[in-house]
Amino acid sequence: MNMLDYSRMGELAVEKHVKFILTIEKEKDSFESVVMEHIRLNGAYWALTTLDILGKLNTVDQDEVVSWMMQCQHESGGFGGNIGHDPHLLYTLSAIQVLALFDKIDALDIDKVSNYIAGLQNNDGSFSGDMWGEIDTRFSCVAILSLALLKRLDKINVEKAVNYIVSCKNLDGGFGCTPGAESHAGQIFCCVAALAVTGSLHHVDKDLLGWWLCERQVKSGGLNGRPEKLPDVCYSWWVLSSLIMIDRVHWIDKEKLIKFILDCQDKENGGISDQPEDAVDVFHTYFGVAGLSLLEYPGLKAIDPAYALPVDVVNRIFFGR
Amino acid sequence: MTGADKSSDLLKELERLLDSDPLMDEVGFIHPSQLAELCKEAGSTSRDGLMGSAQTEANTFDLVFWSREHKLGISTTALLPLYKAAKHAFMEAIRQYQTLTDLQRERDDSKDDNASTFTSSSISILETDVMKHSRALLLLSCDFGTAWNCRKLVVSKLELLHTYMDELNLSSLVLSYAPKSERAWNHRRWVIKMIAGKCPNLQEIIERESEFVEKLAERSKMNYRAWNHRCWLVSYMSGEQVLHELNKSRDWAGLHVADNSCFHYRTRLLLKILEGYDDQNSAAPSATNFHELWKKELDWVATLIKCYVGREALWLYRRFLSLTWIKHFTTQVHSNSFGSCPKNIMNVEVFMSNELQLCHYCSSIPDNDFEDYQAQATFSATYIMWITRQVGGSLQVELRKKLEANGLKTLVNNVCPEKSFLWNTFSESI
Repeated sequence: MNMLDYSRMGELAVEKHVKFILTIEKEKDSFESVVMEHIRLNGAYWALTTLDILGKLNTVDQDEVVSWMMQCQHESGGFGGNIGHDPHLLYTLSAIQVLALFDKIDALDIDKVSNYIAGLQNNDGSFSGDMWGEIDTRFSCVAILSLALLKRLDKINVEKAVNYIVSCKNLDGGFGCTPGAESHAGQIFCCVAALAVTGSLHHVDKDLLGWWLCERQVKSGGLNGRPEKLPDVCYSWWVLSSLIMIDRVHWIDKEKLIKFILDCQDKENGGISDQPEDAVDVFHTYFGVAGLSLLEYPGLKAIDPAYALPVDVVNRIFFGR
Repeated sequence: MTGADKSSDLLKELERLLDSDPLMDEVGFIHPSQLAELCKEAGSTSRDGLMGSAQTEANTFDLVFWSREHKLGISTTALLPLYKAAKHAFMEAIRQYQTLTDLQRERDDSKDDNASTFTSSSISILETDVMKHSRALLLLSCDFGTAWNCRKLVVSKLELLHTYMDELNLSSLVLSYAPKSERAWNHRRWVIKMIAGKCPNLQEIIERESEFVEKLAERSKMNYRAWNHRCWLVSYMSGEQVLHELNKSRDWAGLHVADNSCFHYRTRLLLKILEGYDDQNSAAPSATNFHELWKKELDWVATLIKCYVGREALWLYRRFLSLTWIKHFTTQVHSNSFGSCPKNIMNVEVFMSNELQLCHYCSSIPDNDFEDYQAQATFSATYIMWITRQVGGSLQVELRKKLEANGLKTLVNNVCPEKSFLWNTFSESI
């Protein structure tokens, strides 16, 4: 049962955040926004999922979004981050997630997209992000989540994919981007989510990983992504979702974390930043709101810790309701 | 002049500056007032380094670019028009390039020799354009993946070692203003994978890459991508090189005790040496030397821990060192691979009681207001609990009893009661 007294922790400025998200979408003529245009599809996912968690997805024109997004798709089946940009797994997952939010996965040629993804699996089970061959457990995660949402996991060698992820496990219980790479909360989320979706969490020493993850909480209540780093709102998602998936979320102080996230809001103009008093952006706004949703903050839709989509969206896909 | 004309002139000037100095090693975006300062300074000594100002096109490039000693400054006011021009030029170049390569493919199929020669020369002109505009674009938008990809496409067709090296230089230049750029780091790995097995001085290149990371890490603290690159390089290193890296990076680590990544790099190197035993690698040190090397590392970290109070990275590194020590020098003491170990190998209980001593030493808090000592006490208590848990088996039960007898639980309850639940993570399954 949820025993936290949320009123003591401050208030989420829902209306302001909605307004913030709707205005940044229109602002396209500053250097700061144009240098992000190559990842606009990721941005769409962050913005739209935030709106959905806040119960305001109906404020956007779905057809407009979908028609723009379909123009980002390539002949190969993969999606680019914007029209005219090269395809990559990272944007392909965002496209699938956005379509899932709108209940429009049918708009896709599912075989074509899943063949693109499956074609990026390597012999050792790892995944390349695109045809140029960079390998990272993030790409394993993105491939697995995408195929699971498309119900096409049978197109890849799941066992090999799992073994590759397990080979990236460190002695501290965490995971890095390749074998031998340093543990990082973001990579841990990727690996744990991929293992969770493929029913392979038995490969994780939950107490050991939970230990590392709960040590990410610093005095202010915020979570960092690696030892000695400053806390950052985005880790409210990466660390928290991982702790939930391995059933160790009671190892951190939730109340202090909620307060930390709420302290990172721009209460005047909306949006959430990485740390209190910093400049806000859509990325941290999404992770802040998603983190609060995992913390069962009142008035928010519940979010699934592995698929990073609202629970009702995930249920609609897998249980048809 | 229209706005678009002006910005395409700016782009031309940027590309000219880059062409004129192949040794360019740093780019930065500078506020106009700062740029004016720099130009004034430069003007009082020599005007040679001043680019674009009042030379041919009066006022056009004034206070937009500044370039000296292989450094390039770009005014923040020019970034938006420059980006737009660079992106437009790049997108146009790849569009034409793709059209032409498609055409060439068709003609190759139809075996029309004359037409093929004609297209090849146009293609090579367009390749130059793609390279020129993508370079400018990447200096404005470091993670513009399509621009990096097009370069890979062109470079892999040319198959020339020096063009691969140019790519490493461009990546360095991008990292000088965006040290965390994921795509710039990826590009380096792509280059190395492409030349591995083809170039005679790969070891030298790997060494230079490692030095490059160290230098960059100096001004970009705790940079995950940078250190990840260095860790990735380890798989290309010879046994000798790994030992050399271990020695070389010690001083740097000692000066950056809060940088967890550099200690992880040492972890990676030590594990690689450990792997050497399994492979019977001739370059691996003998068991005695290895034992000494590990002992030296433990002693060194203990010194750092006492010297720099409350540093999490040091304690986490010690977790790794101690656990591996216990696994390799105590439980495997009778195995053949360590047959030549010194006879006085510590038994695990002696080792642990020494560790406990260190923790008691580190958990005394001279002044309650001093946060670092509080942190030190917490790290030492969680350190010893962690090791005990990870040892596992019957040893864990014994050690735990001993730790409790030695007052560790009281210590935990005193310095970090919020961590006392971690006791519950072990022993229950036994």
